[in-house]
Amino acid sequence: MDKQTSRPEGAFVLLLMQATFWAVAGLSAFPFALAGQPFLVGLGLASILLGAVAVLLAVGLLKRRARSRRWAIRLEITCLAGSLLLLVLPIGANHGPVSLMTNVGLPLAVILLLRGKMMRSAFAAPVALSGF
Amino acid sequence: MFDISPDHAIGLYAGLLALPVALIVMWLRPARNSMPGTVQAASVLMTVSGAIHLGLVSTHLGERLTAVLFILNGIAYIGLAQMFTWRWWRPAAAALVLATIFGYLGFIALGFDTPDQVALATKLLELITLGLILVPVRGYARPRDRAYSWALVASGLPLLTLVSGAAIWGIGLATPDAQHVHAGAVLQATNAVATPEQVAAAAQLYAETKAATLPYQDWHQAWAAGYRPGSTSMPSTHWMNAAYVKAGYVMDPNRPEGLVYANSKHGPVLLGAMFQMQHINQFGPDPGGPLTAWHQHENICFTPLGFEFTFMTPYATCPLGSIDLSVSPMLHVWFYKTSGGPFAVDIDSSVVAAVDRS
Repeated sequence: MDKQTSRPEGAFVLLLMQATFWAVAGLSAFPFALAGQPFLVGLGLASILLGAVAVLLAVGLLKRRARSRRWAIRLEITCLAGSLLLLVLPIGANHGPVSLMTNVGLPLAVILLLRGKMMRSAFAAPVALSGF
Repeated sequence: MFDISPDHAIGLYAGLLALPVALIVMWLRPARNSMPGTVQAASVLMTVSGAIHLGLVSTHLGERLTAVLFILNGIAYIGLAQMFTWRWWRPAAAALVLATIFGYLGFIALGFDTPDQVALATKLLELITLGLILVPVRGYARPRDRAYSWALVASGLPLLTLVSGAAIWGIGLATPDAQHVHAGAVLQATNAVATPEQVAAAAQLYAETKAATLPYQDWHQAWAAGYRPGSTSMPSTHWMNAAYVKAGYVMDPNRPEGLVYANSKHGPVLLGAMFQMQHINQFGPDPGGPLTAWHQHENICFTPLGFEFTFMTPYATCPLGSIDLSVSPMLHVWFYKTSGGPFAVDIDSSVVAAVDRS
């Protein structure tokens, strides 16, 4: 068997987890919307949509699509920048281990897994995904 | 749920110490070259999870069953993590992780423990480990196994994450500790029973506040004094006075930072007043002891769109467009009879509904 790098598969798992976290956040907004906060319907739907986009990017990584790699890195850089800003601002944002893992560690890990020359070349030619 | 339980902190330190050790051990093993990076990463994370469980033994010696389970779980994790070249490693490791996650959910459901940050971080680690164990890697997995593994990863992992999160959240909200009176609100620490002096001081504060805010029963007077409403889509609304907030008055009955109005059919009806401190974690004076304990809202997902909010999920995420923040300590004074007393964190929704209907 032709053994290849498993970094895209690792990034796939992390993106899938991140997508699930966004979906959970989106779903959690709906009870509050029912309680009389109408804007939360839109924010909940937007969160679920973002989760769906992350899943699409994750599948694109498995298919070694260069565009998915690029957009996944951009998405994670945006998330990381936002999370770091929240950490620095004195607004009482949560700095617990789960928050650090989810909002800092996870995006950072995806960026590290997908960056570099080796990954650029691995994503140069898309391949059909067998057994999916 | 968002705190670190003192007897769990040692588990976190054990896990952090184990990480570099696990990485060095993995690096020293030549067999790792025959395995995909996802398996190696899963093995390292299993060692970390095992170290967390073993680290918790020392603070749970009084709970024999829990301590034994931690020992068995820790040894199983670390032992299995080293056997990653074994033919049946994937199913065995996945079964161990699943058993640990479901075991923990059962444990907290039965009330043996309450979820905290160490437990949640460990479950998060285990969910990621499970994904790394199951995900097939091109060139390593047999085609026959791939479809089966993909089904587990793509549907089972998100479902398990969703179920675990919902269960932990539900249990956490249903069983708050003494300092967390309701979701997102942390109470100021006070003595347990009010002394006669504290009862008198609380009564005086109530009388002074009620008398000073009497003109604001007419919301036009409140508006003229600089109070402005937040979102009016809820049954009640906080009206805040930005100048008073900025000035930093401390529990001044003549200048409460906020007023609470019910949004009745006939216009705003004054329900109570609210004192607020300027800075997070800075609780105000507490003349009435347990009767006038301040509270601070933490881990609120706030969105400027309509000034609406939700609670942060156990995975520390907020809906898109909202940010996680804490609100500086506050003390309400309610002018309608409510079950928690005149200084309760919340006014009963039935009271607000009755006022709204009036």
